[in-house]
Formats: sequence, structure tokens, C-alpha cells
Amino acid sequence: MVVVPRRLFQPPWEFREAALFTAVAVFAGFAFQYAASGQGVALPHLPFNAIALALFAVFVLSVGLGFKNNPMVKWFGGIPLGLCLIFAIALLSLIGGVVPQEAIKPGSLSALLGINQIFSSWPFALAILLFLANLGLSLSWKLVPFKLKNLQFILFHAGFWIALSCAIFGTPDLQRLVMKVDEGQESNLGYSMESETPQKLPFSVFLHNFSLEEYPPQLFLYDPQSGQPLEELTKTTTLVHKGVKASWKNVDVEVLDFLPYALPGKNGVPEPADHKAGISFAKVKISSGSAQREEWITTGSPMVDTKDAQVGALYLGIRAGTPKAFRSEVTVHDDNGQQTMATLEVNHPINFTDWKLYQMGYDQKAGRWSQFSLIELIRDPWLPAVYLGFFMIMAGNILFFWNGIKRTEGAS
Amino acid sequence: MIVNFTTVAIVAMVCWALGTLLSILARRTPALKIPAFVLSLGGSLFMAAFIAFYWSILDRPPLRTLGETRLWYAALIPLVGFLVEYRWKIEWLKYYCMALAAFFLCINLLHPEVFDKTLMPALQSPWFIPHVIVYLVGYVLLAASSVTALHNVYLQLRHKGNDNGESVSHYLALLGFVLLSFGLIFGALWAKEAWGHYWTWDPKETWAFLSWLAYLGYLHAWRYKIDRSKLQWYLALSFVVLLVCWFGVNYLPSAANSVHTYSQS
Ligand code: HEM
Repeated sequence: MVVVPRRLFQPPWEFREAALFTAVAVFAGFAFQYAASGQGVALPHLPFNAIALALFAVFVLSVGLGFKNNPMVKWFGGIPLGLCLIFAIALLSLIGGVVPQEAIKPGSLSALLGINQIFSSWPFALAILLFLANLGLSLSWKLVPFKLKNLQFILFHAGFWIALSCAIFGTPDLQRLVMKVDEGQESNLGYSMESETPQKLPFSVFLHNFSLEEYPPQLFLYDPQSGQPLEELTKTTTLVHKGVKASWKNVDVEVLDFLPYALPGKNGVPEPADHKAGISFAKVKISSGSAQREEWITTGSPMVDTKDAQVGALYLGIRAGTPKAFRSEVTVHDDNGQQTMATLEVNHPINFTDWKLYQMGYDQKAGRWSQFSLIELIRDPWLPAVYLGFFMIMAGNILFFWNGIKRTEGAS
Repeated sequence: MIVNFTTVAIVAMVCWALGTLLSILARRTPALKIPAFVLSLGGSLFMAAFIAFYWSILDRPPLRTLGETRLWYAALIPLVGFLVEYRWKIEWLKYYCMALAAFFLCINLLHPEVFDKTLMPALQSPWFIPHVIVYLVGYVLLAASSVTALHNVYLQLRHKGNDNGESVSHYLALLGFVLLSFGLIFGALWAKEAWGHYWTWDPKETWAFLSWLAYLGYLHAWRYKIDRSKLQWYLALSFVVLLVCWFGVNYLPSAANSVHTYSQS
């Protein structure tokens, strides 16, 4: 058989045309970004973004259905272009995955090309838009006429279309604010990343109490000159409890006694205390060569000095453990008389009207004694649409998995 | 790590080595087939028992550090090899799988781990286990797919036809892709609960997306009229992207901004 190679642009179009088209689109995106002096894409807010998206969807679907047999439209909705666009998006994401995505000096080439903010840059937006068009066309052909055997295809492709388009078009409506509330106080002000002036919220948060639980303290040896733990020891941090032994080079340490919550007592012997005020004490036995000694050391707090033990030129200390859990007991209320009492904790946000409240942080210097709590407030009206897309993809996945397993029986 | 990890690792590796030896001998003496299988499986069972034991003394699932996930790979990867042998009557994959598992254990032996009970608040979530397990199994399948593809490439270079091998690498990739998709979405749903937004283009997320795209590309290329024997190269290489996502991310310049700063080792 003699195969005559197809010339570029000789129909039917395939990969080479798709690759060329994609390359031109990405290049044009960068040129646009440069022409706009590095200014990224600015999308409108609700309802205009929703209208734009709906028009776009209707446009793609009607082109797909109306010009089903047009070779150009076929090519535009085909796998070759889809693959090239996937490749382009992968390449742009690769830039985002390697180059730190952060604010940099305006005017530098990376800033002008949007390399440092690739995911809101013109080339990325253009690639996504073309991708949505391509995906939408291929979808239109499987949607009409509807056949049950296309269900898996529809769930995957429509799910992804919905999730991606709503996530991107909905970006301007995503509000993320941070509120600082002091214990026993109330606030209704949220700060955004972009501006110094706070925004007034449609509700207030009253902080009854902030509390923090820690893991047991860690035992470590440090150099007083640098204040840093010795390099080889940072990897062998040891949680303190009674009976723990550790040895470093020629120093052996044993924890003879451990009081998680105590306060300094008479004769240097600490006395147990309650959770709120108490700090951790450890009685350590330090043996270095033939010398041996026992000593109480403590983590310290804003009220009580830290105490470490000297070991030759180094110091042995215990420091408050890493946070295990922190929570804020709050009351949230708005002017319409809606009111909720709740405990906010990491991984346990609460809903209030169309906002979601998250435990975010606290005064890290004060740790357990923090007098305030940082609460993140998020409003994302597009979330249900994005989740709908996610669930469709997962449903498609289950079908795909099932069919994959079943088909293997034929393959063997 | 803990006192007897070394022993368990060595016992498991000895099991796999003896199992391999007996399997090879079993080609001549079929009676050895069963002891060979029992020994090979035994290696994974030892690892599984160790994971269970380790879990109980840690008081948290050992899924937090890379070293801990390597324990799971070591236990699970040989199982894929056994499954493939059982379903497709392909014997050689399990040898690669056991070698890969032993390799993971050796990394752990060379880098003894921190004995650390702490789990930061963001990781204390019901999503933690499904998210990580799904990814783990996905990676295991894709690793096996990649090894199969590599073997296919090797056979092609020696001009041997091998349709069955190509369908094995394909179905492993397909199942792996399903699990990657679940992992990605579970991750997004979890991120919404823990960090407030489902997607922030964090470097780890970006790389997870990239590896997902790599396999998405593969599936579509496979559907289209692309020479399937050429795609074996693609599959063999896609795993490189996964590897970067898996432990390379920590070393990239963009990692400084990541919220997914798990302990390295
Ligand atoms: C770039 C746009 C895309 C186009 C043009 C496209 C097109 C196609 C086509 C034509 C098929 C073959 C369907 C069949 O033969 O019944 C297919 C299969 C598939 N697509 Fe896409 N697709 C795109 C993006 C996606 C995305 C984003 C996903 C994931 C959410 C996806 C997941 C799948 C899956 C899982 C299959 C099944 C593969 C198989 O059966 O082997 N596709 N796609």
C-alpha cells in the first residue's frame, strides 16, 4: 500500500493543524499579556459572568449541533485538538508548578508575561476557553440524540465542563476574608489579601473562648550561640514522657519524671497545676562520660521563664509540642436575628447564611495563651455548580471502573 | 524508625527473594508453584502486619510521611503482580513488583525515620485516609502499568509481538486513572473543609493535576488512531511525572509556598 502523506492544511485536519493552532493561541495569549503590561484576565462579577458563561455554552452547543458535519467544526471538537490543548494546559501548569507563584517586581519579563501568575494569565485563559469549546463540541454530539451507552462519556465530559467552567468563571465571586477577634469581644470586619482596608460583613462574631491543645513537648539539644537545634538532632525529636531515653554523641539523657501541667514550687520542685496556667516540667538525668546529674527543665510560658539544662557547650531543652487541636467558641449573629453558637476547629467549619467560617489561626507567639483567634470567612456562590461537576465525574469514574473491569474479561 | 523495622524488612525481602527463586524453579517442577506463591505473598503479609502494628503504636494511620507511604507500597505493589498473574497469566510482572517493593524498603532502611506521633490539625480529618489510600493504590497501579509498558517497549525493540502485554498496561493505566481522579476530587473536597477552598494551584495540587492530565492524554490518544505500540513509550514515561508529584515537589522552587509540607525523608 502506498501512503501519500497529507500536506499541512489539506483536509481532513488532524494533529499538525491542531498543534499549530494551539501554539498560535498560546503565543497570542502571551503577546496579549505583554501588551496588557502583565495585567491578567479580569472577569466580571455575578450576574454578568453567569450570563457570559450561559451564552458561551449555548453558542458552543448550537454550533456543535447546527454544523455537525462541517469538517472544520468536526476538527474543532475532535480528539487531536483536545490532546494538543491538554498538552498546552499541562505545559502552562508546569510553569505554575515550577516557578513560584507570587508577587514579583512589576516590569520584569516574567511579570509582563504573567509567568508568576500563570493561572490568571491570558495564555492560560485562552487555552481553557478553547478547551471548553472543544470539549463542549464533542459533548454536543454525544448528548443529542441521547443514548444510554453514552452516559459514561457524558458524565465525565459534562462533569468536567461544568466543574472547570464554573470554577473559572466563578473566581471573581469568591470572597475570602480573615477576621481577628479578641477573647470576650465581637467583630464584623474582614480583611482580604489584596487590601488594607477591612470590609464590613453582614454578621458579627463574638469569641467566648479560644483554646489550644498541644502534643507533648519535644526534647532537644541546641547550641546557645545560634539558638538552633543541632542539625542532626532536628530529625530525632523525641516526644517527652516519663521514661524516655535519648542519647546524642556522648550524652545520655533520661526523663525521670514528667508533669504536663505544673508551676514552679518550693525548693525548685514543681507542683501540679491546672491546664490553663500550668506548663510542662521534665526531670532529666544527664550522663556525660562519668559525670551524672539530675535537673528540672521546663517549657516556659509568657508568665514563667523557660529553663534548660547545660550540657557541656550545649543546652538541653524541652519546648511546647506542636498544636494538636485549636478551637474557638463563638456566637455568630446578624441583624435579621439569625444566631448560631458553635465551636470552630480546623477541618470543622460552620455555615452561617451563605458564608462558611473556618478556624484559621491564633497568636503564634503566645501559643496556648493566645488572646485572639483568626477566623477565615468564605463565600463562594458557585460552589454547588462545581460540586455538581465533581459528583458527575465521580459517577462517570464508577462506571468507567466497572466497565474497565468487565471489559478485561473479554481481553484475556 | 522502630526497633524491629529492620528485621521485618529483611524477612519480607527474603520471602520475596525465595519466592522468586522457587517460581523460577517451578517452571520445571510445577509442585513448587504453591510454596513459591505462599512465600511471595508472605512477604507482603509481613509488611501488612507490620503496618497494622505500627499503626497501633503510633495511634494514627502511618500515612503521613513519605517513608510511611513507602511501607504501604512495599506491601501492595507485589499484590498487583500476583493479581495480574492470576487474571492475565502474565508471570514476569510480579518479579518487577517484588523488586520495586524491596527497593522501597531499602530506601527506608537507608533513611531511618522519625518516630513522631504528631499529626497536624489539618490532617486530622475523615478525608485523610480515603484520600491517601486512593492515591496510594492509584500510584501502585500506575507503577505497574509503567513497568508493563517498559517491558512492552523492550519486547518491541526485540521485535516480538505482544498484544496481551499492551492490553495489560492499558487496563492498569485505566484503573490507575480512575483512582487518580478520585484522589484529586477527594483532595479538593477535603481542601474545602480544611483550607477553605477546593483548589488553590498549590504546587502539590498543580503536580497532581499534571499527572492526571498525562494519563488523560494517554486515554484519549489510545482512543484515537494512534499506534498503540508507540503509546507504550508514553505510558512508561508518564510515571516520571507521577514521581515528581510524589516526592520531587518538595525540591522544586515553587515548594516554598506549599501548604502540603509533609515531613520529608
Ligand atoms: C479536550 C476535550 C476532550 C475531548 C474532545 C474528548 C473527547 C473524547 C472522545 C471522543 C472520547 C471517546 C468516546 C467514545 O469513544 O465513546 C473520549 C473518551 C473519554 N474521555 Fe474525553 N474528551 C475530552 C476531555 C476529557 C476530560 C477533561 C475528561 C475527564 C474528566 C475525559 C475523560 C474521558 C474518559 C474517561 C474517556 C473514556 C476513555 C475510554 O473509554 O477509553 N475527557 N473523550
